[in-house]
Amino acid sequence: MSAILKINGTKKTFDEGLPPTLSELLNNLEIDAAMVVAEIDGEIIERKSFAQTELKEGMAIELIRFVGGG
Amino acid sequence: MTPYTFYELKNAVVGIAGLGGLGSNVAVALTRLRIGKLILTDFDVVEESNLNRQNYFHNQIGQHKVDSSLENLSRIDPEADLEGHKVRLTPEKIMRIFKNCQVIAECFDRADQKQMLVETVLSKMKKTVVVSVSGLAGYGRSNEIRTRRISDRLILVGDMVSGTGPGVPLTAPRVGIAAYHQANAIAEVLILGTRASRPQAIR
Repeated sequence: MSAILKINGTKKTFDEGLPPTLSELLNNLEIDAAMVVAEIDGEIIERKSFAQTELKEGMAIELIRFVGGG
Repeated sequence: MTPYTFYELKNAVVGIAGLGGLGSNVAVALTRLRIGKLILTDFDVVEESNLNRQNYFHNQIGQHKVDSSLENLSRIDPEADLEGHKVRLTPEKIMRIFKNCQVIAECFDRADQKQMLVETVLSKMKKTVVVSVSGLAGYGRSNEIRTRRISDRLILVGDMVSGTGPGVPLTAPRVGIAAYHQANAIAEVLILGTRASRPQAIR
């Protein structure tokens, strides 16, 4: 069953169903959790809670990825 | 110094997390703007390799970056209100040292440290704005470095993709562009508030 998330303002369809948690979404997108700040529906999700954060159809997810240099 | 002082900046307190290529230059710009007070933090000493982009001088090699920055900023404005902390920041120390700051500039080098600071400010310091940088390595492509307002409390500077690594050095001009974007965003948010610009998604 396909499902949709809005990621950084763009709708993304998951044909095989949603990844169950935020951690699994990041794995799916090949994003290193240590370098991302995540917000779901405007609420910041701390990194230690990524594995327990369940995803639901229609959620708006902002993923702010950091690269090194300063 | 300058005859014009922005009223809104006169009582502002800004924290600078890291005094490398970003932080040492952000501090210079904010001192020249006569910001009310700067709280400077770093754990490191000046090395010769830093002089390609950081606001230090050859005779400061080996000195603590906090001491060198305090010295350089005081030479710009002897009356500048500056507070230095020689510390490696953790979430607890960020909350304590930057408690009275309206805005914190994230000026770290490592991506995981950037993540740690931004997450701490957004989740634990509900009245503080953070201005962070991601993607500034290399040279050229000046106009790909942008300032984006992500939310009421997060402003992000950079091209979002250019991390430093083998063959992709950090250079004075491109790091400087990002640092001055950062300082300019801090001035804007203090003078006008976050409503001056609309939130933007990262794409």
